[in-house]
Amino acid sequence: MTAFRLRHFCFQHLLACLAFAITFVGHTVTADEPTIEQPPPSEVLSLNQLKQRMAQQSSYLGQQANKPLPAAPEPQLQRFQDKVLPALTAACIDCHGPDEQEGHIRIDTLDPDLIHGQDVQWWLEVMAVLGKGEMPPADAAELADEDREQIVNWLSSELQTASAVRRSEQGHSSFRRMTRYEYNHALQDLLGLPFDFASDLPPESRSEDGFQNSSELLHLTQVQLETYRQSAFKALNLAVVKGDRPASNYWGVSMDEAAKTCWDQQNGKLAKAKKDHQADPEKLADEIERLEKSFRQPPNDVHYLQRSSKRVNKAEWQYHGARYAFAPSATLPSVPESFDTVAVLPPYRKLIVELGDQVGERGTLRVRVLASRGVKTDAQPPSLRLEFGWKASNDSRGSSVISDRDHQIDAPAEKPQFYQWDVPISQIHPRNGVRNISKMGDLPTPSEFIRLINSTVARGDIYIHYVEVTAPLYPQWPPQSHQRIFFESKHADDETEYAKAILQRFMSKAWRRPVTAEELERKLSVFHAIRPQCDQFEDAVVEVLATVLSSPHFLFLSQPTETAADDWQLASRLAMFLWCGLPDQRLTDLAAEQKLRDPNVLREEVQRMLADPRAQRFSKHFVRQWLGLQLLDYLKVDRKVHRGISDDLIESMAKEPIAMFEEVLANNHSVLDFLHADYTVANERLARHYGIHTEWGNDFRRIDLSGVSGRGGLLTQAGLLAMNSDGKDSHPLKRGIWLLETILNDPPPPPPPAVPVIDLADPEILKLTLKQRIENHRDQAACRSCHQKIDPWGIALENFDAVGRFRDKIDGKPVDASSELFNGQVLTGAEGLKRFLLSTRQDQFVRSMVYKLSAYGTGRPLTFSDRSEIESITANVRQQGDGLATLIEEIVLSDLFLQSKRSTKHAANSSDNEVQNKSRSSES
Amino acid sequence: MTFSLDALDRRRFLRGTGVALALPWLECTAREALASDGNHPAKRNRLACFYMPDGVPMPLAEDPAHKDWAWFPHGQGKDFRFTKCLDPLEPLRDHVTVLSGFSHTAARNIHGHCNADQFLTGAATGSAGTYHNSISLDQYYAQHVGDQTRFSSLVLSTDGGTGTPRGAHTLSFDRNGRAIPAEHRPKRIFDMLFVKSNADAARRLAIAQSALDDLLADANSFRKTLSPGDQHLLDEYLHSVRETEIKVEKAKQWVNIPLPKVKADALKLEVTPEEPRLFLQTMFDLIYLAFKTDSTRTVTYQLGRENGIGISDYLARAVGFHLTHQLSHETKQPGGWKNFGTYCRFLSEEFALFLTKLKETPDVGVNGSMLDNTLLLFGSASSAFHLSRNYPLILAGGKNMGFRHGQYLNYGPQKPQGGPWDGGPEPWSQKANKEDQPLSNLFVTMLQQLGVETDRFADSDDNLQAALVS
Repeated sequence: MTAFRLRHFCFQHLLACLAFAITFVGHTVTADEPTIEQPPPSEVLSLNQLKQRMAQQSSYLGQQANKPLPAAPEPQLQRFQDKVLPALTAACIDCHGPDEQEGHIRIDTLDPDLIHGQDVQWWLEVMAVLGKGEMPPADAAELADEDREQIVNWLSSELQTASAVRRSEQGHSSFRRMTRYEYNHALQDLLGLPFDFASDLPPESRSEDGFQNSSELLHLTQVQLETYRQSAFKALNLAVVKGDRPASNYWGVSMDEAAKTCWDQQNGKLAKAKKDHQADPEKLADEIERLEKSFRQPPNDVHYLQRSSKRVNKAEWQYHGARYAFAPSATLPSVPESFDTVAVLPPYRKLIVELGDQVGERGTLRVRVLASRGVKTDAQPPSLRLEFGWKASNDSRGSSVISDRDHQIDAPAEKPQFYQWDVPISQIHPRNGVRNISKMGDLPTPSEFIRLINSTVARGDIYIHYVEVTAPLYPQWPPQSHQRIFFESKHADDETEYAKAILQRFMSKAWRRPVTAEELERKLSVFHAIRPQCDQFEDAVVEVLATVLSSPHFLFLSQPTETAADDWQLASRLAMFLWCGLPDQRLTDLAAEQKLRDPNVLREEVQRMLADPRAQRFSKHFVRQWLGLQLLDYLKVDRKVHRGISDDLIESMAKEPIAMFEEVLANNHSVLDFLHADYTVANERLARHYGIHTEWGNDFRRIDLSGVSGRGGLLTQAGLLAMNSDGKDSHPLKRGIWLLETILNDPPPPPPPAVPVIDLADPEILKLTLKQRIENHRDQAACRSCHQKIDPWGIALENFDAVGRFRDKIDGKPVDASSELFNGQVLTGAEGLKRFLLSTRQDQFVRSMVYKLSAYGTGRPLTFSDRSEIESITANVRQQGDGLATLIEEIVLSDLFLQSKRSTKHAANSSDNEVQNKSRSSES
Repeated sequence: MTFSLDALDRRRFLRGTGVALALPWLECTAREALASDGNHPAKRNRLACFYMPDGVPMPLAEDPAHKDWAWFPHGQGKDFRFTKCLDPLEPLRDHVTVLSGFSHTAARNIHGHCNADQFLTGAATGSAGTYHNSISLDQYYAQHVGDQTRFSSLVLSTDGGTGTPRGAHTLSFDRNGRAIPAEHRPKRIFDMLFVKSNADAARRLAIAQSALDDLLADANSFRKTLSPGDQHLLDEYLHSVRETEIKVEKAKQWVNIPLPKVKADALKLEVTPEEPRLFLQTMFDLIYLAFKTDSTRTVTYQLGRENGIGISDYLARAVGFHLTHQLSHETKQPGGWKNFGTYCRFLSEEFALFLTKLKETPDVGVNGSMLDNTLLLFGSASSAFHLSRNYPLILAGGKNMGFRHGQYLNYGPQKPQGGPWDGGPEPWSQKANKEDQPLSNLFVTMLQQLGVETDRFADSDDNLQAALVS
């Protein structure tokens, strides 16, 4: 189900359900795949033991890959004749038969073949009225619950199949354009700049599986084409430079200097006291004592501390008139040898260093901070973060974090160290919009500042001794990004030859293959056509390069063809899969040598690529799309109910599943670790949220969970629990649906349209707990078949509140997190849920992972005909111990990835169906 | 004084100006709808929007100043009387409609200082935190007519640039909600309109044409390597290239026409807001010339930014006061309403002068006067002291688009919020005694009469067809 549909489902429908709508119909257990669950072993094993024990019993072990598969789906006509038609006839025929056709519908002549027949719309009507309990009416024939379930189950299954067949008839190919984020990374790889180049492109939609890179969705419009060209142009203009190296501005700010006016003010107060009380030495002494004492009372805010005198003073800052701005100098000031004054930064407090309007537009902003811990050293060193901001007037300001990571401040107070950040100025947003309009000192003020923040979770002050800022800084001129395009060449004097050399290099990188002489000539002729319009050679080249980047050869990813066995395409698709970007030199070389299709080489390359930092893009984009993490971006936590939930914590929650994925991938751990693991990857902030107080610092690292009950695996991660809540309380239905879709790849059917809502004002209903309400709802015949499938999964996670904190009481009552599955299996809490999944659903989960990663890796929706490959990859993975890296290797080496060319004509004629990832008939 | 364009990076220069060239590849406001033929009907529907900051005098009915210095007219419908704030418009009575009781729904409870940003957009720009805006009325219209003139729109303000979030120096926002920088130097505006633009436009067109030819060749050769199903996908790309080509062809039609010859002798192009009356007159003159030469059909001009900071706060010096914003704060003082009203009257005088000029100039190639073919909106996003409701609004011109004027459309409450600020809770934070109409409803009718097929803009829920259009 797409993210959109999920949201729609949750907000439009589920809320109505909880309000006791009579709702859902349908049940997707199909006749050919009966669900038989294996009871867990009788002795009590730990989850890890269970994981290993049951992995030994996978039905995939010892199985031959590529076993023959059932033919294309056929309608279940026999089941219709035996079970459904008699029930329908008995209940409906009086009003919807040969004699009468109430509502113009006649039930006995509908074609029961939904896959090939023409009556799907009518059947949808039947489904709707039966599901809602509208039919049969009270004064007509009765329809027993059992019969209703028969009809609804059959119909639901047939509709699912028929719709999948129809979808497949539209054809599928993985020929597609790049997504927004792939375009961005491709430009980053090409230009060697880690900037955001895609901000003007429209956002992508999501496929049924939640993926943005699905070929069916990636359309292109005229406006988009213009945006591509403009974005390419902007990107190129950030990469190349003109003229001489711009002068840098330097700021060297010691806290002695910053605090000078504070001490002057204090001394002024002393002087005034001396003057006022000249005649009264006793009063003067009192007053002096009072003042001196007040000068040594540290405020609980950022303040200056003069260590020689132990005086303190709050570090004031006001935007007005840019009076706090430090003037830059033309050379780098030398760092004083020692400092008397430090700025003391308690946790969460910020120190502003105002720079004026001379930061510039491009190049690097380098910030070096001489910092240390405070004298009171708590056990944990604090963290320092950097922001950039401005305040133009009393009601207009902006700021953003510009440090890529926090620095952990380990240095002791007596031995401060420099901590440095380099930030590309062009990437700082928002900037002060009046910086080239107003003058310094005027209102609105054009001045801008950096802000140092103690971002520690624990206690612990930071001492700032000295701040050094350089902007704009160009360590190299022309910058490397310029030289990548305008490289040194012996042809540099001959415009045509030089342009040709530049184009050849750039085009083959951008188009991910060697360019033909004809292609090169054509681009060269564009250069010649444009050259007279441009003052400088570089301008004309940039124009042509922008065209190279607007070409379909750059924007579209074509697929390897069976016949051509195209290594270039393979290199390109590998890079898109595992780096979300362009192939590097080594991949290109292997493609040139036609070695890439050698399985050993390919395996090695996958391993190499996964170990490369660019693979972090893959982890991030895949995990976000697979798990639907964008829901966390939309989550509005009710902070009155859930105190202490900071934006930093939510951000950490969003990072945890990605960090865990990276950990599993790096170590080739079993993908079953996503179901349960005795570790997670988190930072101090998140660890504390889990009640773990042994970690410190804002960096993510592996944390042992063996002593922490209830946690482990994706299902108990705070972010995933929170995003499937309503921000105030848990939401078992959302959690259940999410688990079915994401973890088990077994999405429940969409709800029927038009849900009648029952009066929530009913006092009897209000007395019930959430779980009781859901159960009450489920008791309605029309709803049971579907909700039996959804609810228990979510109820088992009731020990986690809306922000993923563990709880054992809700409103003073003990949490009841036990629930019965449709087959009678009882799930008791998260532990019971995981136990059940690990003992009976391992194969289904591994197959689900294969399915999700294959859909993402191929960039197209999978169909019924991909089913055999999915089965075969799953078998290979299970037989090799379920490693995540192994799984990715197996996908890359599969026919699915290597040979994904399929003629649309063929697809249109076959009766394809979606891969059904149901639980298998037997796992023993 | 000469101004050398070559001294600047051309591209940066063009992006940093208030003039958006109607050229493919270059423009911030790409047009979504494209007329399929090159024959435009003989229409020159123009739109001009003006913003005055600081709100307007709103003395209570029992206040002696109410009679002369309340901004809104007395009476209603056809039967109304301008106060001294607006009576310079009396000779143009049949060409204007005053509206009250309108505001944008998303910003009604926000301090008036923050709201110029959303005057033409209706977006929830808020009072703090993350900031998002959306397309402005003028840019929405420019999407539809921008390719029919040399410049798709002209964006002007007294303060210049984009300003800052919630402190905008521009009324115009592109389709991504990004602020379009406004030009504020008359000399620059003149040069861009009448001196410099053709050479650069021709250059951009030539480059665009070469690039498009090349992309088409790329796409066609690429297409041959694809299966029929995949070819279908690439056709979207080909179609987009062809659509862009059509736009380039259209652009050529007017680029080949020489720049209009305009005499600048009478214009004081070096004037700054330190000479406020002359500055305003010059800006209005430039807009008049841009329209007259059909250089653009869409203009916005923000007379001043909110919050009384920046150079636009000097405007009140035209009528002998020191700073403009202060006038809105000092209405409790003796003569306070009159002082504030005198400033508003000054704006009305200059606006009336501009309208008169449009009225007295017969349009070229189309029926009627320039005023009959130009729709003008003049107003503010606050009325009483920082109050973000009951915007003071004047709709003028556009008779050939069907507008019926000579009326005071009063949707406001019986007793509008107002009175001098006495230091207590400000009007903006008080509860309103009647909910306003969504201003976007007016925008819908404006767009419809300008010839844009739409029944929605921002948060609109209706239109004002019945009240405004004959």
